Order: sequence, then structure tokens, then C-alpha cells
Amino acid sequence: MRDRVAIAGIAWTELSKNSGVSTLTLAARAILAALEDAGLRPDEVDGLATHRVGDSVLPPILAHSLGIRDLRWHLDLFSGGSVSHAVVGQAALAIAAGVADTVVCYRAINARSEFRMGGIGRPLVDAVETQYQAPYGHFVPPQQFAMAARAHMLRYGTTHEQLGAVAVTQRAHAVHNERAQQRKPITLDDYLASRWVVEPFRLFDCCLETDGAVALVLVRAERARDLRRRPVLIRAATWGSGHTLYANQQPDPSTSAAAAMAPRLWSQAGLGPEDVDVAELYDCFTYTVLVQLEDYGFCRKGEGGPFAASGATRLGGSLPVNTHGGFLCEGYVHGLNHVCEAVSQLRGDAGARQVEGAEIALSTSQPGYVSGATSALVLRRGP
Amino acid sequence: MSEAAPAKPLPFPDRDSQPFWEGLRAGELRVQRCGGCGALRWPPRALCHRCRSFEHEWIALSGRGRVVSHVRTHQVFAPAWRDDVPYEVVTVALDEQEDLQLVGRLEGARAEGGLPVRARFVQVDPEHALLHWEPTQD
Repeated sequence: MRDRVAIAGIAWTELSKNSGVSTLTLAARAILAALEDAGLRPDEVDGLATHRVGDSVLPPILAHSLGIRDLRWHLDLFSGGSVSHAVVGQAALAIAAGVADTVVCYRAINARSEFRMGGIGRPLVDAVETQYQAPYGHFVPPQQFAMAARAHMLRYGTTHEQLGAVAVTQRAHAVHNERAQQRKPITLDDYLASRWVVEPFRLFDCCLETDGAVALVLVRAERARDLRRRPVLIRAATWGSGHTLYANQQPDPSTSAAAAMAPRLWSQAGLGPEDVDVAELYDCFTYTVLVQLEDYGFCRKGEGGPFAASGATRLGGSLPVNTHGGFLCEGYVHGLNHVCEAVSQLRGDAGARQVEGAEIALSTSQPGYVSGATSALVLRRGP
Repeated sequence: MSEAAPAKPLPFPDRDSQPFWEGLRAGELRVQRCGGCGALRWPPRALCHRCRSFEHEWIALSGRGRVVSHVRTHQVFAPAWRDDVPYEVVTVALDEQEDLQLVGRLEGARAEGGLPVRARFVQVDPEHALLHWEPTQD
């Protein structure tokens, strides 16, 4: 699959706390804007792909609304951020296999005003493991991820200040992102003074539940050359497993599922972590950034905290991470907005936050906690 | 006087986990022991992930273990926990097998890594009991 499929267009809707519109509206706006970005017409679309957790418009209804009469390929993946990058990987497989020619990947979500994650009072019938946590008042993502973060702190001595370094760095990046919802710089003292949500997480460890949508247009690489924008090639796409809430197959939460998947990703790409110019790492919480720095091989195991605190992940550092401010500051569109930022960096149109000469990007999904699945992409600047 | 907080959700067993919840009601911490390879497993599932045997028996454990991770919830995520915050939930590795890790409320101490704990069975109504943890000296 290497370099055979390109991302030819990207778009975002406004990101906010209350879109005031349906997820159908958000999806359609983002998709039409991404097609405009690519220079393609809506009637050329023959594939749609998304992921949902019962919180967004059904893809067939969206296809009707967009006037797509013959949807040759579609994917409606039931899961959260852990499969966000798998959506793009699957679409690339479909194109490489010749099943579809023009696929739009999207995610539309009113995650602040309509359906908040953790589904308070809304247990999922197929999430049987929640029976062992919900009766104890342990049922929302900040609690689940705080449990993993604490295990990492106990095992490796990771500190609150190191978690804070992620929050401070990403806020500094968001200053340069007009889409970001939180753009006022913060200091480590501001971080340490922010209120507890679930220890060891403070307010600034948590991402911004967001209303909005993003979309990406995928076509064959050779076709992308003739379109409006510089193509970004899908160099590698991988799928992995992960921790469920409590299964004893993976009892140590201080290592994420990315550790097992990363060698496969780098092998498929023919590249290594040392080749990456910019990384967009899934940041539902600060902790997932630290653990992925380790588990994708950017530093040794247990040293994600010191690595982030060293300044290496800032713009101008050796590995700029979450250049748009991430979910902590731009907003939580459940994963695909990381891919959009990576594409923007590789096209060279990221403005004041541009990583000079960026050619290779890593973009990752949630590293396997809770859901038992993960996925990631390596992207390359095209010709 | 303010109104009482809404009721907390009760355990909602599935077909694989029913004996676990019945065990709590009887004052026992029960897990499955594989009939094929003898390994203990958690959470309750129909077959063994090591040897794939569907054969198993339910056995009662000592209910002793140690804290391997912990969180302290300050924010009220649902009204049922309005009067509980802040509260501590711990992950406990059981003495019988390190990779059996169960979650529950900790009472009677601030959580810390390595804290020895024992199970306490809390009857919440005639039909349902929950698993809590409390510190132990031995």
C-alpha cells in the first residue's frame, strides 16, 4: 500500500461548545469544504468512511443528502478515537484495491452539546466490562485514563510537572492556530493551580469536549498529482490491539498498545522514529502523549516525562508534537483532526506554526486503552 | 435539607458474569479457574485466553491484594455521586495471581501504590452486593 493513496483535500467546520446544528449539517459542511479544497465535485464521491459511538448521523442518510447515488464503498466503524486512524487506513485499502476511487473520511460530533463521552446514564449494551466499574462511580474517560497515568507515575516516577509540560507546550502551539478554542498561553504554575478533575488529572490535563466536524478526501496517488493541492501520501497504516478495561491479558497499563504496533508501522513505512519531522499524538489527556513518545520509540521506556519536559516537543524542538494544540486546545474531534493537522504541516500551509521543511509525519489514534484497539498513520509529503 | 442524590447504578450482570455477582452477595470473591490449564482469569469470560478451553469452575479467593493504581475523583460526573466526592477508586492486584486486577472503592485510607488491602462485601440492597477495599495490616 506504501505511497499508493494520497490525501488530496482536508477541511474543518468551526469548532465550538455548541454548534447549534445537527451532526448531519456538520458532516455535510466539512465534506463539501474538503472536496472544494481538493478541487473535486460531490458527485465524484463513491466512498464514505467514518467512526461513531452511536452519536452521529448514519452514513447512508448523509450519502442521500449529498446526492451520492451509487456508494461503491462505505465504512461505519463502531468505536471511538482508537479507530480514528483506522478509518483512513481502511479507506486507503479500498482505493488501493480498486473498490473505490474517491473516498471521503469524516467525523462529525456534537461532543459538548449533545453526547458527552462516557455517556452518563447511557451504558452501551455491548460494553460488558463497564459492569465492573460503573457501580463504583468509575465510568468516564478521565477516570479510566487517570488510572493508567497513575500506574505510569508509580512505575516510572513520572511527575505532575511532566504532565504539565505537555499542557503548557500544546497551549503555546495553539496560540498560532486560529481554529483552536483555547489560545491564551499558560505557565506551569497555571497548570498546577488548575482544579482537580480526577487525580492525577487536573483541568488542563483534559481535552476540550467539542462540537465540530473534519473531513479528508482520499484518491489514488497518481490522480492526486493533477488536483488542486500538493498531495500527502499515506506511507503506512497499521492496526493494533490494546487494553480493555480489565482483562488480564494486558495487566500493565503503563505501556500502551502502541508499543506492540509501532515496529509494524515503522517496518511498513521503511522509516523509523528518527525520520519523523512532526508528530500528532492522540491527546485525550496529557498522559497519552507521554506514553506514546515512549511506545513509538522517540525516547526510552519510562522517559516520556523527561522528554516532554526537555522542550523537545515544542515548535523548534527536535520533535514538534501536536502543533495545532491538540485536543487539549484545538478541540476533540475524536482523532481525525490530528490527521488534518499532519496534512497541513506536510503541505506547508500551517502558517505561523509550520514546521520548516516537514516531510514525514506520524499521526496516531488513542493508544488502545479501554477499547482494546489502536491505529496509526505515517504520512509523507507528495510530489 | 437538600434532596437526596439519585440512586447509583446497580450491577448489571451478563451471562458470563452472573456467578461473580452472586459470589459477592454470598460474601466471597469468586473468579474462574480454567478447566484446561488451571489459570485464573479476570474478567469473567466464556473461554480461557491461554488455552481456549470453555471448561471452568468458580473458586473463592482470599480477597487479599495490593493497590497497583488509584484515582481520586473530585468532579461530579453524574448526580448519583454528588455527595461522595472526593472518592477513591483503586486497581488491586490479587495475591493469588498478579495479573488478576480488580477495581473498586477504597475506604478507610488514602490510596498509595503497594498498599495491602482486603475485600469488603457491601450489600446495597437485598439483590445486589458490591466489592469495596479496605486497608489491612498483613
